[in-house]
Amino acid sequence: MRSDPAGAGRAAVLSLPRQAAADVAAQVQRRVARLGLYAFLLGYLLFILFPLLWLWLSSFKTRQDALAVPPRLLFSPTWDAWEKVFTAGILQPFGTSVLVATSNIIVALGLALPTAYALARLRGPGKERLAFWVLSTRMAPAFGVVVPVYTMMRLLGLLDTRLAVTLAHLAFNLPFAIWLLMRYFEHLPPELEEAALVDGATRWQVLRFAVIPPALPMVVAVAILIFVFSWNEFVLAFILTSTEAQTVPALVASLAGTMSFDWPLICAVSSGAMAPAFGLVFLVQRHITQGLTLGAVQ
Amino acid sequence: MSVQPAALRRAPEREWLPLLAPGILGLAAVTLFPGLYLLWMSTQGLQVQAPGGFVGLDNFRLLLRSPGFREALVTTLIFVTASTAISLGLGLALALALTEPLRGRGLMRTLLTLPLIVPPVVAGFAWKFLFSSDVGVIGAFLLPRLGIGVAPLGTPRLAMAAVVVADIWSKTSFMFLILLAGLQAIPPFLYEAARIDGAGFWTTLRLITLPLLRGVLVVALILRVLDALNTFDVIFVMTQGGPGTATQTLTILGWKIGFTYFDLGQAAALAVFMMLLTVAAASALIQRTRDAV
Repeated sequence: MRSDPAGAGRAAVLSLPRQAAADVAAQVQRRVARLGLYAFLLGYLLFILFPLLWLWLSSFKTRQDALAVPPRLLFSPTWDAWEKVFTAGILQPFGTSVLVATSNIIVALGLALPTAYALARLRGPGKERLAFWVLSTRMAPAFGVVVPVYTMMRLLGLLDTRLAVTLAHLAFNLPFAIWLLMRYFEHLPPELEEAALVDGATRWQVLRFAVIPPALPMVVAVAILIFVFSWNEFVLAFILTSTEAQTVPALVASLAGTMSFDWPLICAVSSGAMAPAFGLVFLVQRHITQGLTLGAVQ
Repeated sequence: MSVQPAALRRAPEREWLPLLAPGILGLAAVTLFPGLYLLWMSTQGLQVQAPGGFVGLDNFRLLLRSPGFREALVTTLIFVTASTAISLGLGLALALALTEPLRGRGLMRTLLTLPLIVPPVVAGFAWKFLFSSDVGVIGAFLLPRLGIGVAPLGTPRLAMAAVVVADIWSKTSFMFLILLAGLQAIPPFLYEAARIDGAGFWTTLRLITLPLLRGVLVVALILRVLDALNTFDVIFVMTQGGPGTATQTLTILGWKIGFTYFDLGQAAALAVFMMLLTVAAASALIQRTRDAV
């Protein structure tokens, strides 16, 4: 951008004053373009950050301050709403969400690691069909999963339990984990595995000692993305639970659906719901693209 | 794909079965089984008042004939088109802007990732809070000052615009990240060559960037369309499909049929229809790219 070989080449041909004028014009144009670029980016950042910032700020307001029009930027902050989160018994959904997300990580990775490794090393039309089936299950509409799962859980008496939500989430997290790890294992260099096999190791030992260690960054990335899915997922958790096994998004929706809006309280719960996002954003940016595009973009 | 080394090839296929089986059986249990169960449900009369056993395709017939379904289909198409077009366009603009060597680029990329991992329910609530005609910075403060005295979430067209804005807020980051990865994979020497040939920004975009980005753009488009077709959380929190049925997409309608009227047979029929729509959307888009390449 800074040096301009095209302009330098032209300088020899053009007469000096004309060339100087053209240079100034080009420079002005570049400045204007750059200013426009910054304006666009800052405008978009404002669009992204303002709703979150406003939510967070409002969680420190009294109900009167939150209801004020014109909106109050200066107010005396209070912990009232946050205290209510801790005292009104609505802390439980946070525990449920953590539990559902962690069990999804453990079960999905436990099942996916060997399966993904086997799929990565198998060849032939059977493998291709299996891999395609795995991918296609990940694309299923959530509503198509929740209708039969709800009916089955009702028959089994498992509605409004953490187990029901965990199983429903696995329908998305398991194919996601298998597919991503399979794509990753396919690209691992086979020399280590070969050496281990020659030394008489079993497939399980190869997986444990020669495949998972070099793939560890990817395994961690998949675990984070499973966590994010379970933490954010709404339609399954909302329909399968009512009070006992509510997850955080279901809690936010039920609070936001009541007629007597306690705006600061919902703002406080929502801020709590965003906490992992803020914790993870710096960690995941690198891995998230590959993960969420199912490895379609390298 | 690499050639299989000898030691790996010697292994009989049977050897893989113990590794393969648990995951495949688990996946079948949580996806294939519910899928088949859904198909069976869609042929059953499952209303609370009058459970009627096998009803053939009656659930589908009733569903396709109901005016609510047709309306929801149109609403879904409007929502999907608006949200997809804008978030894809914005995502591309942001990705192009942030491949330029700007000050603060790394921080901006990170901040733009944020909405992707904020729960969509929270995004929906944040925008409901802003658009509220009682307490909202936009709905109660800015709009009245601009001479627009109506409640955004209580007016059909504005409510649709509002849920689209919230969905764009939530999903553009994903488009941005995919397209950024795609742009970074284009070899820089092509841009050097274009610049030496005196090509301007728009020429470069048309002749180099867009053609080389086509594969990535199609992946982004497919994922976005499938996601928008299934949007539930943002709309549910902001309007529950209202006012009236102005923002009632297929998923919202399905929730009402299945879980407020408790006609699970017809809800299952709607779910089967959405599965077919998903398959059709995905294969149409894939087909179109194959033709284009």
